[in-house]
Amino acid sequence: MTESGWGKWGSWEETESLVGKQIGVSRGGDAIELGAIRRWLEPKQMDCALHYDRSAAKAAGYRDVIAPATMAFTAGLAPYWSPGDPPAKSGDPGKQIDLPVIFSVPAPCNLSFATSVEIEFFEPMYVGDRITCTSILASLFRKTLKVGDGAFLRQEDTYTNQNDVVVAVANLDIFRFVAPEGAGT
Amino acid sequence: MTDQSKLVLSDVKEGAELPPITMPITLHRLVMEAGANRDFSFIHHDKDVAKSTGAPDVYANTFFLMGLFERQLREWIGVAGKIKKIGPMQMMTFNCVGDVLQLTGKVVGVAEDGTISIEQVIESERGVTTKAQAKVQLS
Repeated sequence: MTESGWGKWGSWEETESLVGKQIGVSRGGDAIELGAIRRWLEPKQMDCALHYDRSAAKAAGYRDVIAPATMAFTAGLAPYWSPGDPPAKSGDPGKQIDLPVIFSVPAPCNLSFATSVEIEFFEPMYVGDRITCTSILASLFRKTLKVGDGAFLRQEDTYTNQNDVVVAVANLDIFRFVAPEGAGT
Repeated sequence: MTDQSKLVLSDVKEGAELPPITMPITLHRLVMEAGANRDFSFIHHDKDVAKSTGAPDVYANTFFLMGLFERQLREWIGVAGKIKKIGPMQMMTFNCVGDVLQLTGKVVGVAEDGTISIEQVIESERGVTTKAQAKVQLS
């Protein structure tokens, strides 16, 4: 076993102590804006007037343009750098997406992969909304797979807008593990 | 979807197929996607890092795949429909640079309240890469 690799290192007791508890809060870097929606639609070549045409959105019963529903994942991400943060130094690793279930939850694991994700939508996200994502460690299930000994961990993310209205709830299932001795990983 | 769908609930039957989508995966598209969805994990834009984790090449991330499933649902239900849930989405293998993704979907259930259950699949040269269940609602 090694502590180097991917994720926060710790004992299974530490992992278990966090089940049911909040493991992260991230406030979206920006309010949802038309330009961000347009750039989100672009690589997927998604053409839906609800996401760029105010009159079409209103005709469909919305008070304004709405963001695509799965854009909640993006809208709830914190900035990678903010004014006041220290400047990058040569050799610093680039910042990657902060998944609390991997980077804030200690476990005796140095590898991981996502197995499943689901998201349920409750309210639309409008232009101007500011989204916050609150994560809890919903469950832990120890398991040994061919890739190694580890556990399935579920991160439950609740996305709320600036009025504390829940817009979506997502569940992300991750298998965190350590490869068997001699596996060459 | 400038030509908006006029789908109505009474027309929806179990087994109906959603319009398919073809999506070629290029590094250019994945870089554009990372900039838009803010997931800058190296495995989604750096070939060496992706390969070091066992992937054949740089591969599409969860947000992109979820977005593609949403696009297919929206193109089918039109602006009047509501997307209620996507998932569980299961990733069986990678959707890599050079792959051409084929999205298909079909109706697997229609409830009296207008909720429609759908199964969606992404296939490529690698076989079935990704599956998702979804629920949409038509009034």
